[in-house]
Amino acid sequence: MKLSSDEKIDIREVLKDLDKYCPRRKGWTWRKKVEDQKIGPFVYKDTSENLKNSVPLPAAHYFGNVDPQCDLVITTEIASGRFEDDLRRMRMAAWHGADHIMVIRTTGQSHIDGLIEGTPEGVGGIPVTRKQIRATRKALDAIEEEVGRPINFHSYVSGLAGPEMAVLFAEEGVNGAHQDPQYNVLYRDINMHRSFVDAAEAKRVLADGDILQLDGAHNANATAKEAWKVTPELFVQHAINCAYSLAAGMQADLIALSTVPPTAPPAPKLRLDLPYAVALREVFQGFRFRAQQNTRYMETDTMETTITHVLDTMISRLTPTDIQSTITPDEGRNIPWHYNNVAGVNTARQTLMGLDGLMEQIELKKDGIMGEEVREMKERAVLFLEDILEGGGYYAAVEGGQFVDSGYFPERRGDGIVRDAEGGDGAGTVIPREPDYGAPVCSHFGDNIYARGEGKACSDYGGCTLCDPSKIQYIDELDPEDNVERRLKRPMAERAAGLLRPEVERHGDGLVCVTLFVPDKPQIAEAAALEMARRMGLQTPEVISRRIMHPAEGSLFEIKGVLDVAVRRDEFPETEREEPLTDAEIEAWVRPRGIHVVAATVGEDEHSVGLHEILDIKHGGIEKYGFHCHNLGTSVPIEGVMAAAEETGARAVIISTIVTHADVHKGHMRRLDELARERNLRDRLLLVAGGTQVTDQLARECGMNAGFGRGATGRDVASFLVRTLRDEEAG
Amino acid sequence: MSLERGDDFASRRERLRAMSDEELHSYFWSLVDKITEPLIEEARTHTTPSIERSVLLRMGFSSVDAKALVAKMHERALLGHGAGRIILELAKSKGISVREAGAALLEGRYWEELPI
Repeated sequence: MKLSSDEKIDIREVLKDLDKYCPRRKGWTWRKKVEDQKIGPFVYKDTSENLKNSVPLPAAHYFGNVDPQCDLVITTEIASGRFEDDLRRMRMAAWHGADHIMVIRTTGQSHIDGLIEGTPEGVGGIPVTRKQIRATRKALDAIEEEVGRPINFHSYVSGLAGPEMAVLFAEEGVNGAHQDPQYNVLYRDINMHRSFVDAAEAKRVLADGDILQLDGAHNANATAKEAWKVTPELFVQHAINCAYSLAAGMQADLIALSTVPPTAPPAPKLRLDLPYAVALREVFQGFRFRAQQNTRYMETDTMETTITHVLDTMISRLTPTDIQSTITPDEGRNIPWHYNNVAGVNTARQTLMGLDGLMEQIELKKDGIMGEEVREMKERAVLFLEDILEGGGYYAAVEGGQFVDSGYFPERRGDGIVRDAEGGDGAGTVIPREPDYGAPVCSHFGDNIYARGEGKACSDYGGCTLCDPSKIQYIDELDPEDNVERRLKRPMAERAAGLLRPEVERHGDGLVCVTLFVPDKPQIAEAAALEMARRMGLQTPEVISRRIMHPAEGSLFEIKGVLDVAVRRDEFPETEREEPLTDAEIEAWVRPRGIHVVAATVGEDEHSVGLHEILDIKHGGIEKYGFHCHNLGTSVPIEGVMAAAEETGARAVIISTIVTHADVHKGHMRRLDELARERNLRDRLLLVAGGTQVTDQLARECGMNAGFGRGATGRDVASFLVRTLRDEEAG
Repeated sequence: MSLERGDDFASRRERLRAMSDEELHSYFWSLVDKITEPLIEEARTHTTPSIERSVLLRMGFSSVDAKALVAKMHERALLGHGAGRIILELAKSKGISVREAGAALLEGRYWEELPI
């Protein structure tokens, strides 16, 4: 399957022949760091190979449209409930620099004792199935080809079906997985014995598949009452999973700690979070670090969230990190919208590029207060471990509520999570292996009569699926109602009919968000804002963010609602739009030629703002390229404009007709053209008109060489002038 | 039976103070290993329905068949021998393929003749 950058991903093509699809590669991929990489005008210190296709950061056009890629893998988490919509979201995120796509599972999959098949719809995530994984992997294989960088696909090996999920992942080319038996125990109330016995098998499978593993310790941050006090325990949770993973056969360089800076402003974030990050990296040398952004203290204000996430990402640069995970800034208010996946990725990308090379210029002061705090945390963690052993081991510690207690250990407040070692989901399902126990497959952990001799355990029957993928049994669908084909009916019909609807989560969901400031007390203002949204035509409007500007002067609201409007795309025929030239290219051509331009706001018009924006260097106008601009001011008669053009030897005239009534602006343009002809200047002069009611087509109809409407910039005008004059010069 | 206790870190840390950072790190990891040792030992010597289903997946059974086969073996308290072993040894003794052996068991055949 091949993607073209100007066409949408074809879901039909993705779903075609899935029973035969094999992933192109398996195992985790890191970015390839390039030392002292020259990109555009800069030499970067912490970048990796460039992409073939991407959307650069918005300010990139000032620097020749460079899009440097940091050396850390960037994660985005995707959770819409429908994998067919997620594929488009993944593609958008990949174009913005994500190369680790983490697919969240549907609520409750942890408690399903077995695999799910087909493509049922999920809640807060998707049911992870073979078909869904295979379709996603196939799409990602095409997307990674399009952007020019491997994309790591990731999901979860937790819950009751961990070993089966691990096998599925290894077979289908999933590259990363969460696996941590403690997560099952603490947060899913799955039986402890079952979780740990399953985990060893799952980890063995992940290890042989070169699949990167993340642990689940960050969940303690997200659930603890005071997240910064749970730090001693986090060392312990990370360590138990790391040690257990090593014992199950994993290599340390594919074991990643999932770690989150625990606080957010107005807490003194860096002062609290930095020593913790440093301490963790000292104790866990040799392992990998996946830095997650904070979710514990997320509110509904996406700007506030973004700033916290910038600080989180800064900590990643100040302390070594391998993977920078991102959280969508809207996670505090709804299931993430797809453009917010992009926003989250850009927060990391922008921050990391801004911090490029920083560590060559500064270093952390590890003696003094930071050293003391680092040491204290480590000692508290050691005391935590001693307590576990004194109390009779891990199971007893969980039974005694030692984990996720809100005290700063060794302080205990008695509010930790308590689980019964013999209780929970799946209790009583752990079975002793008999002396003749056997599992004739590869990647099996523990006692096994088939693993005693030489050769593979699966050789008696010609090889297991990990050796011979052709033996994998693919099931397409089990549910005739709840499947992707059913769900696609409406979207595919609408797409075929050329209908477009706004969307933020799923195809054509109609969701839009409006921002309203209402100048009254919060309660009244909110009711009024909702009513205004209703009158705009939004169905089921809901306030998703509210910020008081002043208790009496007013509040700002963001309101989501459904806009049930479909427009036909053929109402908007595609016109060839030429990309403007780069600043450097324009200036290089203009400056040596000393080109004069006469400009004026014509007729009885005192509005000159628009023209200033096109001309003035302060506003990014064409002066900065070296044009000699003669701005004659406002209410200039057309005759005056033409006289000035003659006098200065100008090559171009720019007139602005911002506010007009009747068709006065058309008359001005026609008159300008006529006068230029009368004075034999028309061949020498490029005539350009601009204004809110001007379009290029209209201006040309009125005898101009070009017209520029709302939103045009100096660069657009300069590009036109240079292109035209350059062509003339070339004959 | 959750414990409540004040922060007695200052007194408890006394015996750790003399350790260098390196010593503290290796002490940390030695404690961790002591905690995980019995857990990993349990995993080495035990199995679960999910492990057994994962074995059957690897032997080329669909998730639906793996689930049904393991459930039937669980009912008969056979999983301690290993679902994969039961099927492989049955296939060998009958001179049939692993898939055929699994299909036969699903049809209710051979349960009384398992070579275990």
